Amino acid sequence: MKYLIIFMICTSSYAQNKNVIVEYKKYESFDLGNLEVKGQLLAPGDLSVKERDRKVFERALYERFDFNTESKKDIRNLR
Amino acid sequence: MKIIITVVILFTFSVNAHFGLAEKEYFTGTKGKNLKIFNELFKSKYYFSSLPFAAEHIIESDKLDKDFEEKLEILVLKSGTNSLAGLSNRDLIKHNSPTLQLIYALKMFRMKKYKNSLTVAERIPLNNRFSPEALYVAGTSREILGDISRSKDRFEKCIKVSDSFKKKADKEKLKRYYTVLSESCTMHIARLYYKQKQYAKAIASYNEIPKTSYRWPYTLIEKAWANYYLEDFNRSLGLVVTYRSPLLSSYFFPESEILNSLNYFRLCLYDDSLATIDQYYKVYKTKSDELKKIVLPNKNSHTYFINLVFSSLKETESLNPYIRNLVTQIRKKVKFSVDLVSFKKAKNELKYLNKRKQNKFTKYLINQVQNSINWRTQHLNHYVKKEMFTFINDIHKYSYEMFNIKLEIMSKKRNLLYSNKELISERSRGSLKNVKMTMDDDFWNFDGAFWADELGDYSYGLKSNCSTVKIDKKVSKR
Repeated sequence: MKYLIIFMICTSSYAQNKNVIVEYKKYESFDLGNLEVKGQLLAPGDLSVKERDRKVFERALYERFDFNTESKKDIRNLR
Repeated sequence: MKIIITVVILFTFSVNAHFGLAEKEYFTGTKGKNLKIFNELFKSKYYFSSLPFAAEHIIESDKLDKDFEEKLEILVLKSGTNSLAGLSNRDLIKHNSPTLQLIYALKMFRMKKYKNSLTVAERIPLNNRFSPEALYVAGTSREILGDISRSKDRFEKCIKVSDSFKKKADKEKLKRYYTVLSESCTMHIARLYYKQKQYAKAIASYNEIPKTSYRWPYTLIEKAWANYYLEDFNRSLGLVVTYRSPLLSSYFFPESEILNSLNYFRLCLYDDSLATIDQYYKVYKTKSDELKKIVLPNKNSHTYFINLVFSSLKETESLNPYIRNLVTQIRKKVKFSVDLVSFKKAKNELKYLNKRKQNKFTKYLINQVQNSINWRTQHLNHYVKKEMFTFINDIHKYSYEMFNIKLEIMSKKRNLLYSNKELISERSRGSLKNVKMTMDDDFWNFDGAFWADELGDYSYGLKSNCSTVKIDKKVSKR
């Protein structure tokens, strides 16, 4: 049995090495209207852009958290 | 008339007698001579001459008696706390003397050693005449260190003690001094509230300072900041505009211009804000440039600035009107007046010493008093110079901040353009409807005149311009 399988494989590979002429169809037409594709639509139908506000960056403007400088000056100017 | 002449003769005789005793003591050189010479010179009212002997006595003795302590108090009042600040820290605190403790506390405060300053200042008893100052120093040290509750307690005590000393004071000048101290402590309480973002309470404390007070013009800018953070921009603008009054023309506050601009900015009145910024560059740049022209060539002089203050208003006005105003502001400062009085007294004393018979003793005293005068001249000169340089530096500092606001306005305007929007109105009109009022307030329209009793009570009536509207633009097809 084992020998039979080896013999068949060898015969088949020998047959493949022969010159094979493949002929293609010279003209072929597709009727796109009749073509039917089966499946689910995943992407949106048209292009869309989400509206969002522009990122606004704000500068740190001058702030007054305390009057320590003035307080120190008050004591230096005491006497 | 006869009595007056007799008193003057007796006084002159007594002065000479005490000076003679001091002189005698100087040449005999017995043990404890420093205290004896100090006592005699003090009695003859040669206060500045007595200073080195007082200092020697403090260094060499282990304990100061009550009589010396009392004289030391007067000596410090006459000559200023800086006269004995040259003593070592050890000598200043070893005697448990309130006068020396105050000198030490002030010295430590200047050296930014706030903890040392407050520890010693708080040792001064409440019945001592320097206790209001000591509480003021201790409160401020705690304020800087962030110990708010204890700081407030010290300032409240300072107000109470100052008021009681004021009642007891017999001289008008002394009464005024304690009033200034009490008002200063009130102002510091307001600053504590401000620091804690309790702006309404801060404003209430600032309002306790009367308009007649020397401190009052300085409260305006701080009160304006408090209103700014309460988002009462109209009131803040009104407070800042008070500096335009002719009565306050000598007060320069470049910071008020930045606050002005910020208030307009928060009301979205961008064009007004930009106009303030442009005005700032126009006015203050020239002030700064003109001041620089005078200050820089004389920056190394030890006498130029003090002579500037001594010169007449006409002379400083001819130099520059801004300099005249700056000089006026410096002259009004308590520290300057106190130092100036000491300086003049020292000069007067030197004049009398020069008239005396010249020997080793008088020559020694002349040398000591002359050194003291030289040091005081430099000190006063430095004080005026520092004030002027601070002014110039402030102008530059705020100029940078103004530029920042300008950039932010440009950015806001660009954003509006990109989003195809515009501010609701081009220019808001002032109206009483927009003024935030309390029950006690009553407003009149400003008709171009500043009345002294109305100063500091102004408010703008501008409507916020911050709402935006979409622009319907018709785009032409080409």
